[in-house]
Amino acid sequence: MAALIELRNLTKTYRLGDETLHALDNVSLVVDSGEFAAITGPSGSGKTTLANIIGGLDRPTSGTVIVDGNDLSHVRDNKLSTYRNKYIGFVFQSFNLQGTQTALENVTLPLVFAKIRPKIRKMRAIACLEAVGLGDRLDHRPSQLSGGQRQRVAIARALAIEPRIIIADEPTGNLDSQRGEEIMKLLKQLNRRGITLIVITHDPNIAHQAGRIIQIHDGRLSERRGLIA
Amino acid sequence: MRFSDYIFIAFRNIRRQKLRSALTIFAVVIGATSVAIMLTVVFSVKTFITNQFEQNGTFQQVAVAPQTDITWNDRGGGQCSDCTILTDALVAKMQTRPNVVGVARQVQLWQFEALLYGNQKLRIQQLVAYDTNGVIVDHLLAGRDLASTDKAGVVTVSSDYADKLGFKGNYQGIIGKQIQLYTSQYYNGVGSDPLKAYQDQQAWFAAHPGASGQDYHPAPVSIPATIVGVTDASLMSNYTVRVPLDWARGMYEDQNYQITPAAQQAANAACQGKPGPCNVQPQPSLVVTDELAKNGYTSLIVKADKASDAVAVAADLRHTFKVGAADAQTEIKQQLAIFNVLGYVLGGIGGIALVVAAVGVVNTMIMSILERTREIGVMRAVGARRATISRLFTFEAALLGFWGGVFGVAVGYVLTLVGNPILNKQLQSNNIGSTDILTMPWWLVAGVVALTTIIGILAGLYPARRAAHLNPVDALHYE
Repeated sequence: MAALIELRNLTKTYRLGDETLHALDNVSLVVDSGEFAAITGPSGSGKTTLANIIGGLDRPTSGTVIVDGNDLSHVRDNKLSTYRNKYIGFVFQSFNLQGTQTALENVTLPLVFAKIRPKIRKMRAIACLEAVGLGDRLDHRPSQLSGGQRQRVAIARALAIEPRIIIADEPTGNLDSQRGEEIMKLLKQLNRRGITLIVITHDPNIAHQAGRIIQIHDGRLSERRGLIA
Repeated sequence: MRFSDYIFIAFRNIRRQKLRSALTIFAVVIGATSVAIMLTVVFSVKTFITNQFEQNGTFQQVAVAPQTDITWNDRGGGQCSDCTILTDALVAKMQTRPNVVGVARQVQLWQFEALLYGNQKLRIQQLVAYDTNGVIVDHLLAGRDLASTDKAGVVTVSSDYADKLGFKGNYQGIIGKQIQLYTSQYYNGVGSDPLKAYQDQQAWFAAHPGASGQDYHPAPVSIPATIVGVTDASLMSNYTVRVPLDWARGMYEDQNYQITPAAQQAANAACQGKPGPCNVQPQPSLVVTDELAKNGYTSLIVKADKASDAVAVAADLRHTFKVGAADAQTEIKQQLAIFNVLGYVLGGIGGIALVVAAVGVVNTMIMSILERTREIGVMRAVGARRATISRLFTFEAALLGFWGGVFGVAVGYVLTLVGNPILNKQLQSNNIGSTDILTMPWWLVAGVVALTTIIGILAGLYPARRAAHLNPVDALHYE
């Protein structure tokens, strides 16, 4: 498989008062297209920072990020926004849905920024919601949905732009184990359809479902291949 | 993002915070209403005054008076000691000046007190006479204008007289009716009986030996006249009776029975050398003085070929004839300058209200951004550019301004609807025919809405920039 994501000597430092915090310390990593990688590590180890840099939400202090042959390290904000819009689907622990909008409107949001015509974006959003099993909940607001259903809406939103990569940051963190398993099943299904899946978790059960487990500790990587591909 | 999406999303966000949006818009409405109303009042009054002057081609007219320091308001003439007398010879010379197309001689008569009709008695504000040569044009509502062939016995009256005499709405009905022009005491022009006046005076002094001349009050005179036309009572010509110029000349005459020095001499001669008391009394004879020829016309109205030449004509007349000359334009410019200042002052007050409203918009937008920080983070995560976020919030602020402007203008319009009937009553009580003078022109409506929208945009710039530069990672984790 071809390399989709390539990180070279990535460093990310934060200044907290007088202290300099190394969130990422000389990290190099290659993720192939269609891979399912889990990033694990204790709190504050730098896993979310890593995911944010891959997702184009954050920039490294030094080092190179290459996705699909494009160097993202020094591109302008506009390019980075377009990259997020075209390549990345984010799934967050706290769902991050717009509370005042319906499931359908939430899923439509990335398509609005992609300048897709209203008719087409509605069709695509409905298809995505149907794909996550919420075809009958189009006009429900997040407050009218269960936790699992909300995360499905979030996944549908990530799917809407047909991303190459889905980055899920603790996708099951706010769900009970049964709902969590359902969500993981859904994500793995998408992975099998060719979408590269990066899941950030500190739950070993979830990490072990990945084909590859990347452990991060104090901003440094150590890696082992997972049991289940 | 598509333009329609910006509008849709901005709309939705404004509706989301109904009360807050409504209060913010309310502040803009207050500012917009005050600006709209103030501009409407200033614009309407300026238009009204200009129209009043434009009627009858007043802008082409130059008022000429004997004294040199006159303004347009003195066009009825005034008192002076060291003046150029406005004679027919002078008028003939004025006719030949460049850009002058006509001169109307004007006489104002002060010896008339009232107009009598049946048993009604109405005070005469002004009794005037002027040439009928197209320089001064009366706006007739019924009957006919005075013609140069009219010599005496006919008048036109302004419509306010007709109204008072019970012919409101039926001005045709007053045509042909006879009225009396009631003079003040001492009137001795045409229509008076100077011989009788002389005899009355003699008889009175005979009955009151030793009385002072100040105690004698001769009787006023009533002069009959037929109404041939009703003219529009405008701002400048209310309660006006117009008589033919020839008649006015006669009214101006000083007719007196006097004992002339010659008669006195003759009587003295007859008595000379005769013993005892002499019974030969000097015979009084009628002496008529043409006061108009002596004192000149009250004023002249000179018509320039174009309104734009009136100022130059006035200057030329002043320079050439050493008379006072005033054009309406200079006058109206002064009057309107006051309204310009008024407009700036009132507009300034509205402007301050709008500045306060703008601060409200800034406040609302900053609150909105704080509340929606996570939402902004999500939008950025799914691909919204900084410029997109910035535009979204700018649109929202612009929409607050836009609605404020629309409602403000609407409230202003309603206020003009309320104000017009009140003003109409006021104007009617002053006998001015104009109605509904408060008008809101389309450019004012568009201008005020555009202004508040721009204010909304400007007020939204800072909050929008702030929203656009939020760090997406921080925004997503904002609690």
